[in-house]
Amino acid sequence: MERKIPADSSIAAASIPLPAGLTLPLEVRVHGRGGQGGVTCAKLIAALFTEMGLFVQTFGDYGSERSGAPVQAYTRVDRVAIKNRNKVYRPDHLIVLDEGLMGAQVLEGVAPGSLLLLNTNASPGSFAGRFERYRFGTIDATAIAREQGIGSTAVVIINTTILGAYARLLGLPLSVLEKAYTSLGLGGDLAAAKHAYEQVRVSEAVREIEAPAVSAAGAPPPAVAAMLGHSRDFPATLKTGSWSNQVPVYSEHPAPCNLACPAGNDVVGFIQALKNNGAEEAAAILLRTQPLPSVCGRVCPAPCMQACNRGAFDGAVNIRSLERWIADHSTLKPTPQIDEHPLHVAVIGGGPAGLSAAYQLALRGHSVTIYEASPALGGVLRNGIPAFRLPQEALSRDIDRILKLGVEARCGSRVSKADLDRLAHDFDAVIACVGFGSALDLEAKGGGLDGVEQGLAFLDRVKRSGEKLKGNVVVVGGGNTAIDCARTALRCGAASVKIVYRRSRADMPAIAEEIEDAGHEGVEIVPYRQPVEFLGSGAVSGVVVAEVEAGPPDASGRRRPVVTSRTSSLACDKVLLALGQKSEIELMPDGWKMKDGRAWLGERLLPVWFAGDCSTGDGTVTHAIGSGRLAALAVLNGCDAAQDGAGAADPVAPGQIRFSHFDVTPSHKDGQLPPAALAGNFQEVNLGLKGPEEAQRCFSCGHCTHCDTCLISCPDGVIVRIADGYRVDGEYCKGCGMCVAECPRNAMTMQDKNHKGVRV
Amino acid sequence: MNEPALCGMAQTELDRAEPLFRKGNTNCGGCGMSITLQMLRHAVAQRQVQFIVPACCGAVAGGAFPQSTFGVPTLMTTFACAPAAASGIASVAALNGEDLRTIILAGDGGTFDIGFASLSAAAERNEDILYICYDNEIYGNTGGQRSSATPAGAVTTNTPEGKVEQKKDILAILAAHRIPYAASVSLAHAEDTLRKMRYALDQKGFRFLHVLSPCPTGWKSEPALGLELVRLAVRSGLFPVYEIFDGKRHVVNIEPDFSDEALNMYLSLQRRFQKSGLTAADLRPAIDRYWQNLRSLSGRIVPARRDA
Amino acid sequence: MTVELLSANHGAALAATLAARANRKGRGFCSGVYPITPSTECMEYLCQQKIEKGRVIKVESEHSAMGVCIGAAAAGARSFTATSSNGLAYMFENCIAAAMLRLPVVIAVANRTLGPPWNIWADHSDALTLRDHGLIQFYCADNQELFDTVLSAFRLAEDKRVMMPAMVNMEGFILSHTVAQTNIPDQAQVDDFLPLTDIPHRLGDVPHTLGQIEVPHQTEVHRWQHHNAMLDVPKVYAEIQKEFEGVFGRSLHDIVVPYRADDAETLIVSMGTIGVTAERAVDMLRAEGKRVGSLRVRLFRPLPTDAIRAHYAGKKRIAVIDRNISLGLGGILWSETRALADPGAVVQSYMAGLGGGDVRPEHIVKMLGDLEPRKIAGPPAMMEAV
Repeated sequence: MERKIPADSSIAAASIPLPAGLTLPLEVRVHGRGGQGGVTCAKLIAALFTEMGLFVQTFGDYGSERSGAPVQAYTRVDRVAIKNRNKVYRPDHLIVLDEGLMGAQVLEGVAPGSLLLLNTNASPGSFAGRFERYRFGTIDATAIAREQGIGSTAVVIINTTILGAYARLLGLPLSVLEKAYTSLGLGGDLAAAKHAYEQVRVSEAVREIEAPAVSAAGAPPPAVAAMLGHSRDFPATLKTGSWSNQVPVYSEHPAPCNLACPAGNDVVGFIQALKNNGAEEAAAILLRTQPLPSVCGRVCPAPCMQACNRGAFDGAVNIRSLERWIADHSTLKPTPQIDEHPLHVAVIGGGPAGLSAAYQLALRGHSVTIYEASPALGGVLRNGIPAFRLPQEALSRDIDRILKLGVEARCGSRVSKADLDRLAHDFDAVIACVGFGSALDLEAKGGGLDGVEQGLAFLDRVKRSGEKLKGNVVVVGGGNTAIDCARTALRCGAASVKIVYRRSRADMPAIAEEIEDAGHEGVEIVPYRQPVEFLGSGAVSGVVVAEVEAGPPDASGRRRPVVTSRTSSLACDKVLLALGQKSEIELMPDGWKMKDGRAWLGERLLPVWFAGDCSTGDGTVTHAIGSGRLAALAVLNGCDAAQDGAGAADPVAPGQIRFSHFDVTPSHKDGQLPPAALAGNFQEVNLGLKGPEEAQRCFSCGHCTHCDTCLISCPDGVIVRIADGYRVDGEYCKGCGMCVAECPRNAMTMQDKNHKGVRV
Repeated sequence: MNEPALCGMAQTELDRAEPLFRKGNTNCGGCGMSITLQMLRHAVAQRQVQFIVPACCGAVAGGAFPQSTFGVPTLMTTFACAPAAASGIASVAALNGEDLRTIILAGDGGTFDIGFASLSAAAERNEDILYICYDNEIYGNTGGQRSSATPAGAVTTNTPEGKVEQKKDILAILAAHRIPYAASVSLAHAEDTLRKMRYALDQKGFRFLHVLSPCPTGWKSEPALGLELVRLAVRSGLFPVYEIFDGKRHVVNIEPDFSDEALNMYLSLQRRFQKSGLTAADLRPAIDRYWQNLRSLSGRIVPARRDA
Repeated sequence: MTVELLSANHGAALAATLAARANRKGRGFCSGVYPITPSTECMEYLCQQKIEKGRVIKVESEHSAMGVCIGAAAAGARSFTATSSNGLAYMFENCIAAAMLRLPVVIAVANRTLGPPWNIWADHSDALTLRDHGLIQFYCADNQELFDTVLSAFRLAEDKRVMMPAMVNMEGFILSHTVAQTNIPDQAQVDDFLPLTDIPHRLGDVPHTLGQIEVPHQTEVHRWQHHNAMLDVPKVYAEIQKEFEGVFGRSLHDIVVPYRADDAETLIVSMGTIGVTAERAVDMLRAEGKRVGSLRVRLFRPLPTDAIRAHYAGKKRIAVIDRNISLGLGGILWSETRALADPGAVVQSYMAGLGGGDVRPEHIVKMLGDLEPRKIAGPPAMMEAV
């Protein structure tokens, strides 16, 4: 800034008029922190007054302080050249760039009626009674400057912003501010200054309040130790915690796996427990929400693994098999609580949803009776899923655990419409978990031929009594039932098995690994084909399939299949239909309606809840388990439907994980049964994990693992280990944010110090 | 994954009870020298040490009379003579049979520039000193001027267009003194840092550690990102992490992936490189040359894995 | 006690060696040294000595030489170095550091002209650059005096009331390279004379920092404490003189050395070897019946103002001869002592022997011839101009 100093003591030519009410000489003191631009702020103020043709003098109180430490700067303004070279002890205007600096020494020497401009994000009202003797202005310059990107996140430079507020308090018109910023070469920061100009709030001084006496200059300095006597330890006492407006806090964030789990399992919790304390402690966490870990550890489609942040690094954690490991390697049997006034609840259907509801209620000390139409509990788990995927023992182990809680099972008792009505009267509550309705059929010529049957019936028969097949089998469908049918058919002796599916292979809703395994076993997948006719006389001998084209996407985002007239035929001896099931509830008494998981009779709410596929239609074991648990909780709370993690925050994203903390470690794969002759062999194919090491791969997203990274990366050593984690010493923390940036798993955040609930 | 970090030794009985660098110091938030000192605390553990600190940010960080921010006896020296003063201290300790580690804590100005003669002489005499240079590539104490450790392209207060000259290869110079141990240290790799500091502490003779020390103030970067910047410098190959035994045996400790993405990220996160508009493509040839030489010195393409 | 034929450089080194060995039961001795003409012989001699619990480190510069001494003293050892001229100038900031840190390093300086242009011969201007920074300064005139002063300097510097570096000056070549008989005490005597070095603020086990940041009023207090410790030096020195005599059976020179001065009207005042040359001139002039005396100032820092004032009292004319020049002012000893004379006395500055010029009694007689008719002092005069 080149500016000619006036040769005499007269006022130089002014480009900005002197504001009314300005008394000269004027002394301004700026309190700030190193790096905030306090000294520059004083210089800018001087430059502003220079524009008014006044003599100025400005200087900083230079020390050895670093970024963040308190600093002072001064500006003097007068009509005549200024000779005084002392610091400013009795400022007319006091500008405090950081609320954290406010204290007796800052206000020292400030006479009543003086101008006090404070940078704060608090409202002027929150200072009621503290600064009444001053003309008191407040502005959140930090927020404005941060928004305008002036400085860094930790050290925001606010001098040009606060100058806007100061100009307003001086009574300068906005046009003058614009002119001054242009002439000072600060055009880039003008927007911030304008915001401050407009947003500054001021309350006038209450004159009658007397200021406290100003301490006399030249008070004796403290005694100084001799250099020679100086051999003792005097620890540092500088409270650097006042340097920053932000502090790190330890805060848990939802892991994507936890949010993705339909059963509501604490996935991070049980994996970390397995890692740190072994299978029994992991089981204790898992069994809070998961009554069927042996089952889900085998057949869950594992949405948690789709969501796993490690997928973006070196492959998702093999969560499903870890669950299986825990189930297979723990002996934990939960004991029910005692409830003084137990409810009596009837659960209709012994499938996963019913078992889950019964389990949750029994755990809490309630009396549960399950009504199951089949001779044994398990529903689709027992009838539908083949043994090579889910061995009988695994299912029984889980069901035994549930029954040990005192759950009564009435198997072989099919509940009719009338029964349901009666149960609703006899029990405190009824939870209906009857699953899907009957299987969907294919509208095609020849559907009545021998050898064309529902896959579910086939699977059930195989499980009950076994079956021998010959020749070629065609399975229609793309879900898990289709895959199970195909693989079961192979084991029953089929010479070849083809799966005909109307969409692409990638669109198949079955578990990807199962599709892959089926392929390895020799199942051929024929995508983009739709059966239009079954051939044969008496018994089926072939199927005519039409080519399907992928049309425009439907509501689910999948491309709608468009059946063409181009056909071909496949020779076959058996057709298994696996097209899904109806979702209507066949046992609903007349007049009953289902709404939000509850039964209504007209306007009357009945003590009947629905859970599982009959209510949600999600179609997986895990969804059914979650649904059953929530229904049980709803029964206990007497509400419509309980929800997990209502209003939960966003899950931790891959970008919030510091990948550099982790070594690339391939996922531990499940062992597989050697591909021997499949015929008649219903042994479990997947052998699971060899050990629990896979748990080491868990990032523990959003959940502190006490990894000490924050502890060792804190430049100032102000993080200490305490019994259940760590504590940040706010008295000394400079708020650099290193611990938060280095935290590998987003278990910490920076918070403003005057944020609610943050104690410093 | 090494969890907990440093095998969980921090703040246990395996650690040094008293910090080497106390809270309540005046260093900027996010200072690399501070991190160096916290790491050194873990490495020092129960060993007896004294600090010799020439003029540098460390001299200011030491606290105001009569307080001491360093948790060990410390001598502040003039800018250029820390190695000489340390020679005196180490000699007297040896004469008195004391098991004392004499540690110099110096910045790049005091090491690469003004203290260079004294450093070279003490290295040549193989004085029993551990010299730790926390290199923030700038004269921080005086407000950010270039040193011979400032990389080309960096804007400093006296190279407003960006420094033209390349950074001095201090480790090669120290290796040429055939001192028992010289190593570069990445603070972003805590286990490697701890191992080197421990090793260096327990050697006799002149040991030199070159620490790339992030400086939010001088680098015009976010204080929180200091360690990440070091990580990027290591990953990209810009800051080779290796050690040299007796000036002969070179061992690369951390294999970079020579990622241009990391290098560009390193540059873009520091406003000191903004003006010169430096990109990975500008730096890559020099990095390649350096590594070619380092490969031939270390005599292996893939580094040996070392225990932490 | 033996008598050896030694140069003053070697004498200084031998005194330091004896002092070093005397601390073998303490924290030992450590010294940093670097050669420079005409001081080199001193460090060479020291490097040839066997010192139990001692180490002489051959560093790469005078700056580092004093750096080593600072480290050694900070660690509680006895320390010594020797240098000259530009070496001292190069050592300057560390001399100040040693002083401000109150570390009792003894420095033997063979005074030499500062350059370039290079001139290797005697001049006090090198040592006088350090007059204001808290180092004790002695100026010696012969071999024995130098030996005794170096030895006593350890005791003085290490005295707890003093605790600061002491510099012992000898003019380059004129004294540093002059060989003469020197009484050398036994080690046992030196052991008796020098207590073990005990530096109260040395680095020990307790965390504490030497030399950290000070705020203005702390610096003010420390300077004042240092200043007052300096003012104690004459008193402490007087005690040491008594001890010296008791142990060695001979006297240690006073801080100022008068010669036929009591009844003199005219006083020749100087430092170093010019002071003894002045005594020859006094004898010559006394033979002519002139009431002339000499005063040799041995202790320049602290300046023994009381002793000098006492000797200036009653003198009508005082010729202060400086082997130095404060450019733009004149002789330094003159400028510092002229106010100590009686009102009305003519105190004239003469500068002689700068750059190593040989100052003979005739020169001094000539100066007095210039002084005698003066009613008031003229501007400082260079000998050649007189």
